[in-house]
Amino acid sequence: MAEYTKPIPSPDPVSQPFWDGAKEGKLMLPRCSDCNRVHWYPRVICPFCHSMNIEWVEGTGRGTIHTFAVQHNRGLVARGWGDEVPYVTAYIDLAEGDRMLTVLKGVDPNDPDSIEIGGAVQIEFEEASENVHIPFWRPV
Amino acid sequence: MPGEASKAAAIIGAAEANDIGYPTTPKSSLTLHIEAINNVCNMTGIPIAAIDGIFSAGWSPQLAEYLGLHPKYIDTTSVGGCSFEMHVHHALAAIHAGVIDVALVSHGEMGFSQRFTGGKGTGRPFGGGDPWDPGTQHTSAYGLGGAPTGYSHAMNRHMARYGTTQEDFAEIAVVTREWATLNPRAVMYRKAGEGDLPPLEQGEWGGGKRGHTFGGPITVDTVMNSRAISWPIKLLDVCLVTDHGGAVLIAGPEIASVSKTPPVWIAGAGESISHWNMLEMNDFTETSASRSAAAAYKMAGMGPEDMEMAMIYDSFTVTAGITAEMLGLAPGGEGPALWKDRHAAPGGRLPINTNGGGLSFNHSGMYGMQLLVEAYRQLSGTAEDDGFSGDPGKQTSARSCVVNGTGGTLSTTGTLVLTSD
Repeated sequence: MAEYTKPIPSPDPVSQPFWDGAKEGKLMLPRCSDCNRVHWYPRVICPFCHSMNIEWVEGTGRGTIHTFAVQHNRGLVARGWGDEVPYVTAYIDLAEGDRMLTVLKGVDPNDPDSIEIGGAVQIEFEEASENVHIPFWRPV
Repeated sequence: MPGEASKAAAIIGAAEANDIGYPTTPKSSLTLHIEAINNVCNMTGIPIAAIDGIFSAGWSPQLAEYLGLHPKYIDTTSVGGCSFEMHVHHALAAIHAGVIDVALVSHGEMGFSQRFTGGKGTGRPFGGGDPWDPGTQHTSAYGLGGAPTGYSHAMNRHMARYGTTQEDFAEIAVVTREWATLNPRAVMYRKAGEGDLPPLEQGEWGGGKRGHTFGGPITVDTVMNSRAISWPIKLLDVCLVTDHGGAVLIAGPEIASVSKTPPVWIAGAGESISHWNMLEMNDFTETSASRSAAAAYKMAGMGPEDMEMAMIYDSFTVTAGITAEMLGLAPGGEGPALWKDRHAAPGGRLPINTNGGGLSFNHSGMYGMQLLVEAYRQLSGTAEDDGFSGDPGKQTSARSCVVNGTGGTLSTTGTLVLTSD
């Protein structure tokens, strides 16, 4: 595997089930067992009803583009991403509810009009290190 | 009917540091604070020793120590550029409660000069966010960094929801620049070397004294043709990065009556938050300013229709456009039209950002103090800057102003309704 040069997240005890799922290509999401709503990012308390009964469920890995932007300025983005400008960042509305940030794969950053807000996307994972596989999304 | 705290205190004076913008030699953030504090106390005639409450974005203990003060109220609220509007809110409450008599709200930030000192003098610790912090952990992989990389997502969503265009937002930059050409302290006041201005003085540190290579009037085309930063945000949709120091004094009616400068009353104040990391923003076309403004208007017993001018945080064109809608100054989707239709322009019915804004006057990283200083100057009739023999022009006849700071990534807001007698 080529060396991964971009930032690699640091899993913490609260989020570990998500990163464990990512290693197996699964989107694991925290869900409140009292109000049944999925939230993102992972928490020890439900941000909607404040129950502390949180369980992990496997998501569909499907979502839609809430909004996106094209990053052009290498000085404003993190180490490793500077070499990839222009690239497209997007907020994804998960089919299960709530929202993730990502980098969109399989889109043309030089033609933003070709990228559709509301368009369907599918998750995929990239192995950044042995223990951290990073979620990315791509139009269906 | 106004709330109980309405006009319990006034801003009795506002001043800036001696050198703002692009100074020829760097001064530390602390020095910028102190110059502004000294200036506002000289201006009002209220001695520094009379200050018994200190409000700043993290600096209050250092300021108290440096000035040898033992304040009774110490507030370090630091939630981005709106912190200063929140400080005014907190100071109003503290004075209304009888805890303090004279509140200092202070700001010093070497946004420009820090690049020449390697970060020394900023007062900020070096280093980034905690890797376990959930906002950091679940966003850092995607490289978003400087503020434009986040705000662009809001602008695109606004365009998708309302059919607004990049050109609509560019109008905000054009009109705001027009105001800057009336303000000799504005970085973008003139194109360097033009007219009666001396050529750009390049100091040892690369800063220029007056004028800017890209200063003077601009058009929508200038904005549209500026380079892409984070599409749909282009360079001229983005604020400046400058040095600034500013200070205001706040006191009740008794002290206000002995100040050498006139009071500008705090008729209403409110604050709110919708998220800290943009990942948690709910609707990308709305901010918590709708809530902070509702609180401020309620306390004032006034509404957006009563506002004769507005000072709206413009870190980006999109920040100002969306916030105008949240403040009730325009319906959803029609914020940018306030500028496009020239209501916000010099001579318009609702002047906005009369100092030239963060876009063209001065933006040090946190811009909330600049909003306060200009709102004070406008409502006290001192908006023709006394630091320079500038052309008259930016003073308006407004006697009421809504001031809104925005912090973080469209995260936090503080709103004030200010009035003059």
